[in-house]
Amino acid sequence: MGEWNRETLTRRIFEILRDDILEVDDRFTPASNLVEAGLDSLAVTQLLLALEESTGIWVDESLLTPENLASAEALAACVAGILG
Amino acid sequence: MRGPLVPLTGADCFLRAFDGEVRRSAGASHLSQLVLRLGPGFDPERLREQLAKAAEEAPILRAPIRRPWPFGAPVYDLSRAPRAPLPRVSKVQGLAPNLSNSVPEVFCERLNDRFASRRGELLRFDVVPYDGGAAGTDVAMTWVHMLFDGAGSEAFVRWLDERFRGVRAAGELPAGDGLGDVAPPPMGAGRGRQAQAWQRHMRGLAARPPRSLAGPLRRERQALRYDVETYSPDDTAAVVARAKQKAGFLTPMLFYLAAAIRAHDAVFRARAVDPGSYVVPLPVNLRPKGAEGAIFRTHVSMLWFRVAPEEARDFDGLLELLKAQRRDAIKSGLVEAGAAAMDYARYAPARLYAHMARRSFHGELCSFFFAWTDQFLPGQDSFLGAPIVNAFHTPSVPPSPGSGAILSIRSGRLNLTHVYQQGVVSGEERVLLRRRLRADLLGRE
Repeated sequence: MGEWNRETLTRRIFEILRDDILEVDDRFTPASNLVEAGLDSLAVTQLLLALEESTGIWVDESLLTPENLASAEALAACVAGILG
Repeated sequence: MRGPLVPLTGADCFLRAFDGEVRRSAGASHLSQLVLRLGPGFDPERLREQLAKAAEEAPILRAPIRRPWPFGAPVYDLSRAPRAPLPRVSKVQGLAPNLSNSVPEVFCERLNDRFASRRGELLRFDVVPYDGGAAGTDVAMTWVHMLFDGAGSEAFVRWLDERFRGVRAAGELPAGDGLGDVAPPPMGAGRGRQAQAWQRHMRGLAARPPRSLAGPLRRERQALRYDVETYSPDDTAAVVARAKQKAGFLTPMLFYLAAAIRAHDAVFRARAVDPGSYVVPLPVNLRPKGAEGAIFRTHVSMLWFRVAPEEARDFDGLLELLKAQRRDAIKSGLVEAGAAAMDYARYAPARLYAHMARRSFHGELCSFFFAWTDQFLPGQDSFLGAPIVNAFHTPSVPPSPGSGAILSIRSGRLNLTHVYQQGVVSGEERVLLRRRLRADLLGRE
């Protein structure tokens, strides 16, 4: 798993979403709901592509349940599970 | 929305390129339709009143579409809108209660009509009351496809109803419908390169060109019909759960696309005809954040998929292939490239654009039309005082490819609309297509 753990993954996912994908303000945090923040079908694939570039791991769309998209923290836990 | 000239979006112009072709070959316009099946309590006069107010507040509803100069981008001429007639509301008495899935004949006929968009005829309603409305009313809204896209058409219905209920103030249009948002993007070198990338991608799709069920360049007069199949709540829940499990919570459209490809493949196999490869465009909503409720004009790009017939034999394998194609397309910027290419369609003569597309695919546009529009008017239970029993979309499809499938969910029930040109698919083939689709959606043979 190398440099990637739940904490670093959470930070990376949060940064990708905040800086490159979503149009959010300071109220957006690692605990914010991603769908409510504007994550849609196109944005989620852009997020997964950016994550793949960072971690080398592709997260299949079928793993993206509402629970896993509840927050950057929840998604990080899902990805961490894949990275083992 | 005020102002004299409002440019069409690139997507509007891209679709408009095929509008002229449909007219020349078939004598009709390229239209879209939305059907509301209402319970008791609908009054057509209320609709007329709301439309008159809406046309006053949003003159684009009856604004002539024209090119202000020979090679300029086409526009809605809002200054001429007040002289155009209001959108028509026609009433035809229904013969039987609207309990079944059969649709009134007039709705199919309307899709074959010619709309005079240059004179501002962009939208009309057909109202079919049953037992004077006591047993319910079917309402079809039919429009020149450039006026709204699928999401915009639902937003318009919602806007009419919110104005009726006083929830939305007079003149208050959703964000994204203001004049500040409609200027065409600059066509610099960067967008030129994007358009070229898209063109290269399309040429790649032509390596094994598609063949539609209608065959290339069908010249029969337009005669659109459609079948609607409404799934039970239990079956719909099973389909939705399977779509989420196979394709993901936010990206279920590929699950439905895979099923539609295999449904068409079943017909080709029954005919023992080589379909070439399945080439299908999938609309991608490009409304910016905050403008999700924008009503007017088309705000989409398109992703194109290509599948060899042998790759459609296994549902799961096909779905994985579609996922990989979508991922690669987004990664290589084809959503933005498609939008840039469509922006060039503002300036190209419409006939040339359609000719280029047909030439690439040996006379075809694609294998069939497809759309998945998810929940239909979620949270809206009534329209102008009458309960909504069911609702679905019916986009038209040109004489070739001649077949299109659109799926959406209304109040927990999946609706499949199969639109086809009469004579392209037989009754047996339509049953086969729907049976194959159902089996794949439910995962049950």
